[in-house]
Amino acid sequence: MPGTDNKIPLDWDALEVGETFDKFQYVLTQEMIDGYRKGVMDPDASFPTIAHKVDVRQYNAKYSDDGSVNARCAFHCYNPPIAGKKLTVTAWIADKYLRRGKNYIVTEAVSVDEDGRLIDRVITHELKQPSEVGKKWGG
Amino acid sequence: MVGPLRNIQIDDVVPSLMKAMTQDAINLFEGSAGQEGPSQFTDEVAARETLGTSGTVASGRMSLTFAIEMLRRYFGSDVFNHSGVVDLRFLRPVRPGDTITFTGKVSDMSKEANGSRVTVDIQAQNQNGDTTGVGKGSAIVPNAYLPQEE
Repeated sequence: MPGTDNKIPLDWDALEVGETFDKFQYVLTQEMIDGYRKGVMDPDASFPTIAHKVDVRQYNAKYSDDGSVNARCAFHCYNPPIAGKKLTVTAWIADKYLRRGKNYIVTEAVSVDEDGRLIDRVITHELKQPSEVGKKWGG
Repeated sequence: MVGPLRNIQIDDVVPSLMKAMTQDAINLFEGSAGQEGPSQFTDEVAARETLGTSGTVASGRMSLTFAIEMLRRYFGSDVFNHSGVVDLRFLRPVRPGDTITFTGKVSDMSKEANGSRVTVDIQAQNQNGDTTGVGKGSAIVPNAYLPQEE
């Protein structure tokens, strides 16, 4: 049942591996690329798409939960994106697992530009009990 | 860009990469994707409420980006930007004020259709010597850039 913000409260047990989200599109601007490069202190950084967290964007648009912590992330480089091109992202639930009593969700996304160039693939393992960070590592 | 790879060997050490983390850098990283609202990365209150930490933390994706930079410099952008992969596990929070050093060592080379996949073991440590992340990265290096087989 949707919550007050029309999001569905996460039921980890019911979440289906393989669920594919609505496609997400955005135009990668030169301003986005410049900000990213300044933030990572690398004028040649080629994949500003990393900062867009597109693998979890559609999950977060659909589900509400207590937040998350990135436990593991894999990134595959295919072709650097080009400023001004529209990117289309397909994201899905790739896996979920329970480890040491903690719930994890694995999301995966592939980005393709308007010319059909494969840009990148990102796979993220998110711990769905983010307060564990404070418990383990304190202030 | 890939000329130096002619001498690549197992156990080769990848030149390390050091990054000084600041809140400004974190804000720029988050803001570059239009994520302007308060979050555990940009706002101490949000970090306390979500993570239970006293301060903000950097997104693991920043560490991922730094590992990618280290390998891109090693393999060359012509190779890495079209076949590179980094898979990193985040073991400790990285916070503003931390200095993180990324190191790598070639651990494997395996044949692929159009070259050899060269794998590098990656480690990230903070200024206290604590490991903040570990993982592997790789790229497919064209055979012309690798030592010839005997």
